[in-house]
Amino acid sequence: MSALIELKDITKTFLTEEIETRAINSINITINKGEYLSLSGQSGCGKSTLLSLLGLLDASTSGTYHINGVDVSSLTRDQRAKIRSEQIGFVFQSFNLISDLTIFENVMLPLTYQSGLSKQVITDKVNDVLAKVEMSHRKDHYPSQLSGGQQQRVAVARALVNDPTIILADEPTGNLDSKNAQAVLALFDKLHQDGATICMVTHDPVSAKRASRCLEMFDGRLIADNANIPSHRNSVPSLEAVELAAS
Amino acid sequence: MSVLIDIKYSLRLLFKAPKFTAMTLSVLVGGLSISLFTFSFLYSTLYKELPLPGGATALALTTETIGISMNMDPNQNLLSAYEFRQIAKTQSSLIEFGLYESRDARLSFEDTGKNIPTTYVDSGFFKFSRTQPIMGRTIQQEDMIVGATPVVVISYETWQNELSANEDVLNMSIRLNEMLTTVIGVMPQGYHFPGVAKIWLPLNQSQLNTKQNTSSYFTAYARLKDDISNEQATKNLSAVLDQLYQQSVELYNQPEAKKVIHLRSYPMEQVNGIGNTAFIFLNAVAWSILALGCINVGNLLLARSIERQKETAIRAALGASSKRLISQLMWEGVIITIVGAILSILLVGAALDYTEIMLHSWMPNSIVFWWHWGMDKETLAMAIVVTLVTIALSAFLPAWRSAHQDINTTLRDGTRGAQSKKAGRLSRLLVTIQVFLVAFLMLIGALSGYVSQSFINLEIGDDYSDTMRVTINLPINKYKTPQEQAQLFETLLDRIKSDSSVIDAHATTFNHFPITLSEFDYDDSRERQSIDTFTVIGDTEFSGIKLVAGRHFNRRDKIGARKVVLISQSMANRYWPGESALEKNITIEVEGKDESLYIVGVVSNRMNPRSIFGKLDSEDETYISGLQFINPRQRIYYKTIKGSVKTEGIFYRALFEIDRNIELAQTVQPAERNRNIMRDSMRLTSKVIFGTGLFSLMLALVGIYGLTANSVAQRTHEIGIRRAVGATDKNIINMFIKQGGRQLITGLGLALLLFALISAVFHEFSVGLIPVYLYFVLASAVVICLSLIVMLAIYAPTRKAVVMEPSSALRYE
Repeated sequence: MSALIELKDITKTFLTEEIETRAINSINITINKGEYLSLSGQSGCGKSTLLSLLGLLDASTSGTYHINGVDVSSLTRDQRAKIRSEQIGFVFQSFNLISDLTIFENVMLPLTYQSGLSKQVITDKVNDVLAKVEMSHRKDHYPSQLSGGQQQRVAVARALVNDPTIILADEPTGNLDSKNAQAVLALFDKLHQDGATICMVTHDPVSAKRASRCLEMFDGRLIADNANIPSHRNSVPSLEAVELAAS
Repeated sequence: MSVLIDIKYSLRLLFKAPKFTAMTLSVLVGGLSISLFTFSFLYSTLYKELPLPGGATALALTTETIGISMNMDPNQNLLSAYEFRQIAKTQSSLIEFGLYESRDARLSFEDTGKNIPTTYVDSGFFKFSRTQPIMGRTIQQEDMIVGATPVVVISYETWQNELSANEDVLNMSIRLNEMLTTVIGVMPQGYHFPGVAKIWLPLNQSQLNTKQNTSSYFTAYARLKDDISNEQATKNLSAVLDQLYQQSVELYNQPEAKKVIHLRSYPMEQVNGIGNTAFIFLNAVAWSILALGCINVGNLLLARSIERQKETAIRAALGASSKRLISQLMWEGVIITIVGAILSILLVGAALDYTEIMLHSWMPNSIVFWWHWGMDKETLAMAIVVTLVTIALSAFLPAWRSAHQDINTTLRDGTRGAQSKKAGRLSRLLVTIQVFLVAFLMLIGALSGYVSQSFINLEIGDDYSDTMRVTINLPINKYKTPQEQAQLFETLLDRIKSDSSVIDAHATTFNHFPITLSEFDYDDSRERQSIDTFTVIGDTEFSGIKLVAGRHFNRRDKIGARKVVLISQSMANRYWPGESALEKNITIEVEGKDESLYIVGVVSNRMNPRSIFGKLDSEDETYISGLQFINPRQRIYYKTIKGSVKTEGIFYRALFEIDRNIELAQTVQPAERNRNIMRDSMRLTSKVIFGTGLFSLMLALVGIYGLTANSVAQRTHEIGIRRAVGATDKNIINMFIKQGGRQLITGLGLALLLFALISAVFHEFSVGLIPVYLYFVLASAVVICLSLIVMLAIYAPTRKAVVMEPSSALRYE
């Protein structure tokens, strides 16, 4: 497998009222294309900060970061934004859909920040991903009209719409009930089967075990990096099946 | 106890954010001060009762001739002695009814003298004002009889300032209009009824017993019977007056019109009855500015409460009731509003005191005695009302809104949905209203500013520097024939010119007569054009009206000689382009009779009363000889050598040598006095407009900044999401600018639409004072200026928000 992402000696320090807090301490990770990583650890260990650095939502204090062999650790804000819009897909715990936009518009959002895409291309892409997450029938609704599980599926669709190099998910099932959590995890499994690279932050050991590789953090450091072969890898249930089973 | 804790907490928050506190306070103080000052100034000017016993029921009775312009009938607001007598005989609506006339008298000392505002009154005048003299007596019936000893009642101030507070003032003789007059009474301090009078002289009975066609005109005072309403009395009295006027239309060829009576309080009469309109319009402007201030302050406080939304939600979760939360959130606004109100009251008090001093020193004999501006109980009561309204708008509403949030929504992480949607809509609406109000104020301000500047720089086309002016009325029972009247005016002008300080003098009147040009065809259906016509005795050269061709009038242009006319250059060019207008014939209808005149001279153009809004040559003027068309009322002008002193006395000496009984309709004063007062008042207006416009603009800047900052703060999380999915700084800024642009276009569009309507009406009324393109220039200037300000106010907080890292924005609460 080829190295998609390479972090070397990444450190992130926060300065608050003269107190220096080292959230990430000399982390080295290599993520290969098509890997499904889970990142777990106790609260405050730095998982979300690491995910922010991976997603270029924040800049590291020191260290180097390469995506597809390109050093992205010293890019400008706008260059980082360009990479986010073209190569990274985010799924958040709190969905982070924009309430004033319809489902279709929310999903379309990353594409509107790319240049040179025709309206038809954008519409087709959005319709494709909405179909993929089985939310086409709700595309004209607003987020407040959807359940939590449905909102998260829309968030996944938004993460997929730009054909990202990597999908970064920050506790994507944290705000969902077990039925919806299962549905979202099943969706991730399916995406992984289709070849997507996923990095998911999770508290839940069961969710973590669905990933092909489990990273564990403690106090800003990476303390475990284990390959994981879940038992159900070859029998991914459909979304309908999960929903029916849960009801 | 809990209230004290809340106050303490709010004070701590205010001190912790001194910039916010100062900005909010300054916006509030500005808005409150403008609205309070406007209210207080107008209320004191228009609605305060006469400070006399029974002042509330004292009415001024004036007339209006509907269908005749003021130019054609300068006495049209007055009641003739004949009309008075006839109405007094038949009326049953009034318990008191009398006449007076206000004009200056000349108080002379050994070698100097001064004009004193004087009212000539009948014997019921002082009883009507329910005021007794502090010394001596008032004017009685016997003082009005022809041949009675001349007597005068003086004001306390005249006694103190002009007669050195002489203890033996009663029966003292003073020279008034060169006549020894006995002081018979002194009125109390501050009494100057009916306006600015400093002395009171008796009306002469002979003036009151005149015939219908030779009657003098007066102002009337009246008091209604208890069971009669103002409307009923007005209707009854108008019916009688109009009947009398219709008689004079038939008998004396008066122009056809309808004559009505107005019964108004003295303060309202002082502003010609337009007080209510002025009060409503100016207060509406002031309240709009206060509304802007309230929107801004309310929004700034709302932004603060949104910052503390989580804190409020925690308090609510811990059991705080809505009432308790509102109370706690309100205190910040209440403290700011109360401090702002106190500062405003102090500021307005000082401004009113300054206004009182400035206006009394600027126009010492024009400010009526009941006009006093200062902090009073009405202004304080209005301050309380305005403060309560401001608290409701600026403190209660934001607190109420914030206290009624969904606790779950706020406490749950990351679901800012419904709240921000409503808030965003409200914020956009507020920005649109702000833009509309500010744009409208700026557009009207720019238009008014331009009009003010036009007046200040008005080119009249004449030159009255070092010139004195006086208006006299010849008693037509003494000077019966036009020849006698012409003789007197010629003699008077000769006497004036004989003074070594005088360069030249002339007498003139102004009329507006229809003319016919003999060489042009007139369709019957087309009315003959009316042209401003001046009668002139002497020549106009010294007042800047230069001779362009032909000759001036001379002493041979008198009754019996060929009737001649001078015309303005604009008229010559208009009707006889490329040829000489001299010896052409025109017909002017003078007082209903067609007069054929020959043009003997062409003079330079001037701006006359009819074309005051127009260009210098947009209206024509004709000049006819005052010795051929004699008028017993003349305005005398005389130009003196630069630097001459005591120039007023030149006229009085000349007049009193000829006839001491001739009335002055207006006393001697610099010919440019009114223009200078007008220019000064326009300068002041211009400054006030500029200041108000600037303040409105500042309010807009602060307000829109606050609203945008609030909106951006509410959407920080959304910014984080957009940034997370790839939006650049430019994308985010463009998004806010685009949204602001929509509100800007809506607000500006509405304001421009209203401005266009007002401009169309104003353009029609002002006869092209402002060229059409200038309306577009003014509108464009306001659009550019406001757009820049709005864009700046949107850009600054947006720029601040996009600097935040997306990871921080996503965690933002």
